[in-house]
Amino acid sequence: MKRLALTLFLASSLTAVPLMAADDKNASDPTAVYRTQWHKDILAGYQSLATQSQKLESQAQTYCQSPSSEELEATKRLWLDAFLAWQQVRFIDFGPVEENNRAWQFQFWPDPKNLVARKASYLLKDEAPITPEKIGESGVAVQGFPMVEYLLYDQTFRSSERALPAGRSCQLLVAVTRHIARNGETLANDWKGFQGNYLGSEQYTDTTIRAAMAGLEILEERRLATPMGLRGNGKRSVYSADAWRSGASLIAADASVQGLKNHFLPAFAKLLNDRGQTDLAKRIEQQFEEVLANFPELDRPMAPLLSDDNAFKPLQSLYIDLTQLTALVNDRAAVELGVVRGFNSSDGD
Amino acid sequence: MPELTRRNLMKATLAGSAALSLSGCGMLPRKADSNSPQQYTGAIGLTDGSFAVGAIAPSGQMLWQAPVNTRCHSGCNRPGTAEVLFFERRPGWAFYVLNSKTGEQRHHIEAAKGEHFVGHGVFSPDGRYLYAPVNRYEPGEGIIAVYDSHQHYRRVDTFELNGIGPHQITMHPDGQTLVVGLGGILTHPDYDRIKLNLPTMKPALVMMDRVSGDILARFRPSHHQLSTRHVDVAPNGTVYAAYQYQGPAHELPPLVARYRNGHYEEIDFGESVHRELGNYISSIIAHPENELVAIASPVGGTALVFNDRTGEVIEKSAIADCAGVAALADGDFLVSSGRGKLVRMGKGKPGVEIASMPVQWDHHLV
Repeated sequence: MKRLALTLFLASSLTAVPLMAADDKNASDPTAVYRTQWHKDILAGYQSLATQSQKLESQAQTYCQSPSSEELEATKRLWLDAFLAWQQVRFIDFGPVEENNRAWQFQFWPDPKNLVARKASYLLKDEAPITPEKIGESGVAVQGFPMVEYLLYDQTFRSSERALPAGRSCQLLVAVTRHIARNGETLANDWKGFQGNYLGSEQYTDTTIRAAMAGLEILEERRLATPMGLRGNGKRSVYSADAWRSGASLIAADASVQGLKNHFLPAFAKLLNDRGQTDLAKRIEQQFEEVLANFPELDRPMAPLLSDDNAFKPLQSLYIDLTQLTALVNDRAAVELGVVRGFNSSDGD
Repeated sequence: MPELTRRNLMKATLAGSAALSLSGCGMLPRKADSNSPQQYTGAIGLTDGSFAVGAIAPSGQMLWQAPVNTRCHSGCNRPGTAEVLFFERRPGWAFYVLNSKTGEQRHHIEAAKGEHFVGHGVFSPDGRYLYAPVNRYEPGEGIIAVYDSHQHYRRVDTFELNGIGPHQITMHPDGQTLVVGLGGILTHPDYDRIKLNLPTMKPALVMMDRVSGDILARFRPSHHQLSTRHVDVAPNGTVYAAYQYQGPAHELPPLVARYRNGHYEEIDFGESVHRELGNYISSIIAHPENELVAIASPVGGTALVFNDRTGEVIEKSAIADCAGVAALADGDFLVSSGRGKLVRMGKGKPGVEIASMPVQWDHHLV
């Protein structure tokens, strides 16, 4: 919202020509080359998610078969690896990840009503066996990384009598990690199968750019500005961030920026260069480095940074770097390319 | 495709004609001889991140802005009075009753427990009863909630839609039939705006008797994921529905449907136009003075005008984030955008920007 003035200024022309509208249907599809690259880069990200999710499932089984503090730590590490693999591709909001609300299945967030904890409590008190079908019908708050995070990290739960490795909690852990692994595998396969439609439909060029724009905006506004108290009631609250239970909010932000750099930027920079926007492409690439330079210093829990004004400063630096990246991609580059993500188009009704 | 239920609608459709005065939401424009105020009102987002409802003159000049707590979506003028209502955007927990001359707030009415509004409403022609589509979210049932403005907007009735996800509502010119877009999408406020039932959606265009609540007709689109959100009715009784397709972006189904003379049919603009509409229409308005209909798509950044008789697209403009459409008194349309633009377009007139202001117009102008 605050960028509106800038956006209005830049979008002085009423008729910025969208990428897809610029071409006659019978002419060759000049943006197919970028989608070819994106398809490959995104597939790599999805395959990594599938592999890491598989490892998490297998480790959850190992831990529950012979529980120990070492195996628990190993499970937490593999949860984080898989969760970060998801963060890398989280910006993709179209294609097979839309089917059956898969993105929501991987990560139900935000969760202001704490449905993850409520659903866990309900499932653990229930006596019906925790089957794949049971997980399948229990809704998105049960089916993804936040539920596993709850079981592994939630302080109240960890000190309760149901804490891992209690039998039913272990059943839930194994069942949910299996669900995540199945979804990871299906998503990677479906993305491969989506290749024909993706490469054959020019509108997916705009769609892919919009997905990255949305990913940056969500990162800036909802994953950083809101917990930092820069929005809404102005209060800092780690509970507004994602992955607060594991303290992984910021390392997840790091992974999401890395993901955009790895799976979106290569083809996007090429597109900008081909449109004669070489300076802008270079500035965007540099700004990605600026944002990432805040890490690994900031790969730590967000909560202590919010409670101390001195510790808050590196977080502010990250936020400022990210707003500049978002402005370059969402305002400058997108406007040059005629791609719009607006008040109505991004979340309509 | 047409699935007529309970009663034949033909009679109502044919009866609805010139004799009855236009009233309620969706019955624009402000004609010189109209009793409606010479202004359009819309929900807006402001540059500081706050929200308001704003009224503009047909020339594009802002007349007033009234602050509201949260983003609003659409609303309706109350016939015969200087009141305009605006509903909070889905999930809407309240609606505002404003003085349409000044923007001063007269009432702030909250949704009943277990219910939320969806951004739209319409009045009975006498300006007494408000009909508001509502989601009763625990059972996931769509209803029409009836409020009596003569009793400080007390809730006086509830009509079952036998379906999920009602969105826009308008009044048929017969003054008796409510026309409702039933989106078919199940949502729950605890789950953000997640669409919970995409494989099993049952969207429909629904006609309902405004007194008895009887469902007179229910028309299903050609695909179960064509969410039937927005509706309008021409003075001759032709009903229009605009869809938002929930399937993959590379599929390009029809997005507009029309009901008249007993037939429900979808209008195909051709693949290239459909592509420019991004499978999403935010507003549809039939011009009361001619045979033109306008639609806007913020996703596609496209507004177009088509001839209802031929189905031919006669004018099309690229307007970033355009969403709201209203009919102007001389046969043209006014299009508003999330980037603060007001654009005039019509037959033989491609989009001309008439105003640009630092506000973000939400979907609808009323």
